[in-house]
Amino acid sequence: MYDKEKTLADAFVAKKIDRRELLRGMSALGVTTAMASVLVNASATRALAQNGFDWKAHEGTTIKLLLNQHPYTDAMIANLENFKELTGMDVQYDVFPEDVYFERVTAALASRSSEYDAFMSGAYMTWTYGPAGWIDDLNEYINDPSKTNPDYNWEDVLEGVRKSCAWNGQPGGELGSADAKQWCIPLAYEQNNLTYNQKVFDAAGLSVPTDLDSLVETAAAAKAAMGGNNYGIGVRGSRSWATIHPGFLSGYSNFGQVDLTVGADGKLSAAMNTDVSKTFHAKWVDMIQNSGASDWSTHTWYQVGTDVGAGRSAMMYDADILGYFMNGPGNAEAGNLAFSAFKANPDAAAPTPNIWIWAMAMSSFSTKKDAAWYFLQWVTGPEHSLFGAREMDLVNPSRASIWADDIFRAKLSSSYQGYVEMHDVSAPGASIKFTAQPLFFDLTTEWAATLQQMVARQVPVDEGLDMLAESVNRQLAEAGLR
Amino acid sequence: MDTTGPVERVLRGIAISLVILFFMFPIFWILLMSFQTNETILRVPPSMVFEPTLQNYRALITGRLETQTSTLEIRFMSNLYNSFFLSATSVAVGLLLGVPAAYAFARLKFRGSEDIAFTLLSFRFAPPLLVLLPLTIYFQQLGLSNTYGGLIWVYQLIVLPLILWIVRGYFEDIPADVEYAYRIAGHDFWATFWKVSLPLAMPGIAAAGLLAFIFAWNNFIFALVLASADKQPVTVGALAFVTASGIQYGQIAAGIVLSITPTFLLAILAQRYLVEGLSLGAVKG
Repeated sequence: MYDKEKTLADAFVAKKIDRRELLRGMSALGVTTAMASVLVNASATRALAQNGFDWKAHEGTTIKLLLNQHPYTDAMIANLENFKELTGMDVQYDVFPEDVYFERVTAALASRSSEYDAFMSGAYMTWTYGPAGWIDDLNEYINDPSKTNPDYNWEDVLEGVRKSCAWNGQPGGELGSADAKQWCIPLAYEQNNLTYNQKVFDAAGLSVPTDLDSLVETAAAAKAAMGGNNYGIGVRGSRSWATIHPGFLSGYSNFGQVDLTVGADGKLSAAMNTDVSKTFHAKWVDMIQNSGASDWSTHTWYQVGTDVGAGRSAMMYDADILGYFMNGPGNAEAGNLAFSAFKANPDAAAPTPNIWIWAMAMSSFSTKKDAAWYFLQWVTGPEHSLFGAREMDLVNPSRASIWADDIFRAKLSSSYQGYVEMHDVSAPGASIKFTAQPLFFDLTTEWAATLQQMVARQVPVDEGLDMLAESVNRQLAEAGLR
Repeated sequence: MDTTGPVERVLRGIAISLVILFFMFPIFWILLMSFQTNETILRVPPSMVFEPTLQNYRALITGRLETQTSTLEIRFMSNLYNSFFLSATSVAVGLLLGVPAAYAFARLKFRGSEDIAFTLLSFRFAPPLLVLLPLTIYFQQLGLSNTYGGLIWVYQLIVLPLILWIVRGYFEDIPADVEYAYRIAGHDFWATFWKVSLPLAMPGIAAAGLLAFIFAWNNFIFALVLASADKQPVTVGALAFVTASGIQYGQIAAGIVLSITPTFLLAILAQRYLVEGLSLGAVKG
């Protein structure tokens, strides 16, 4: 790097000049905005190298990662050269499409392969990988000052997100309990809130829903206003556990409802058939029947997002980052989408969104664990998170310090109406709302199947939930969990 | 003498056109999609009027995919090459091993021949997921993991039983007397095999090779589990267009057009052999 550019970047990192001055200075030197970002991050990396930590301890070591094809991975790869420069390590990686990613992870771990040292994982998946002995408890690295750099600032990671990646392995054990093992470390996460089409809402004179009843009413009014094959609200409906975890569980938990209860003896029982739960289910089913997609039972992440981006649906109650992507170029409704935190229960103090977390986990079969940890602490650390959030699409970053960053907030606010406010309101209540237990995927998929039957009017809501609870209890008993 | 009346000819023409339209319409629609942007593909209602673009093909061929939020590196052409290399090499190896074996099972009666032939066929019965985990472990121990050689070996599970059983049926249909006559003329076993049996069985071999190629081309799971991202075939690579930030319908359509082209051309070129080979091999005299 030339000295003048380097001096400018260092001054920006040291907060001696603001971003506007930096860009003006770089522009005067003939440096593009994109290149300026890279230079700034290289400068941040140099600052990191000065923090007294032995970043070169594993110089010459090569580690290999298994990654999911995702904007978070794009951010990681874009910044990888800085990690290599910082540590003198080499990083190889395999990127697989999301549709097949977890099959690949499971095959690698189940065969006890040492090929990959670390990999991307969802927090839910660690409930399988952890107790199976396939991944390491990362607490032993985080808490070891000889292995973790002093600027890592683990407490900066949002509490709900951090704790959602930690479990003691006991069925029903509270996430993030004192004896929990840190199975993974968040890269970024998704909250489930409302993404709505401002243009449609304005044209139809609709207000943003503030609770479940008004959501049901607004969805119906939006459908009537849009006409044709368009519909009021997008929510997932496929026969998969992924139908339950976004908007549905976020709204459900806002009424204080849970999937399972844990007895004093540690035994689990189904809790989907309480009176409050039945009322919630009835309203949800009614909303889909009257205002949802006609092919709702096939809708996954992709259909829900595509339809709101194409203007076929007026709003969706799903991942906020899905709305973020659909508000970008290439979508018919780009720039028309707005965001709002959603509190289904009018009596609740705040939203309680269930979350999905993309995180990094370490393979127990790695032969280079210490070196792999260097990568994990860098990629989940404040410097890379800031780079990803400002310059790439690392939304939602899991660190409080990144959410406090003015540049990041301004970037979001300029193009994503209401996004920052939505996050600020709902983040304190954001966490995984499921009960951690080994039958999670099977039981939650059955829940989705029951929901499909209710929407298809094959079974009344009350009866369907009683049958579901009975089936869940039987399976828990068979597994020795009840 | 043509006894078909004009009305019947017209009705038959209409019926054939409808059948062709029914079966070819999805491919035609995909072809149209491959020349559109995501935005025009997702229009409601869909329309056949659009401004054509080559950007989908350009993205696949240059390896740079423009998404809503960023520019991604894609390996579609490398996936296409992997599919072609793995399928062609596997079929070549399968033919090399399978044709002599098929001849042996058809002509030479030896102890356990039926058992061995059935065992080879049973490879087709086993669900791939059942054998993948042990295979992964063995491949790691043998150093075959993430190698083309290992994949070609495991692809024999797909192609070898197919080639063996189709070609065997065909060899059985060739009258043994033809071979005996050539042997009586003073030629040895191998000369008879090369000069008489093999040429007569060629349509069946071509048909078996083509079918085996298509089956190998369509395989998905073996390379996914046993190899790294750089050795993945097009069946896995095509999923790269389904991203968290949206589905790239245009690029998927262009990918389908490019990936079906080799098998489509092969099927057209070898159609005569395919029909002849399969039908003759299937009829017992």
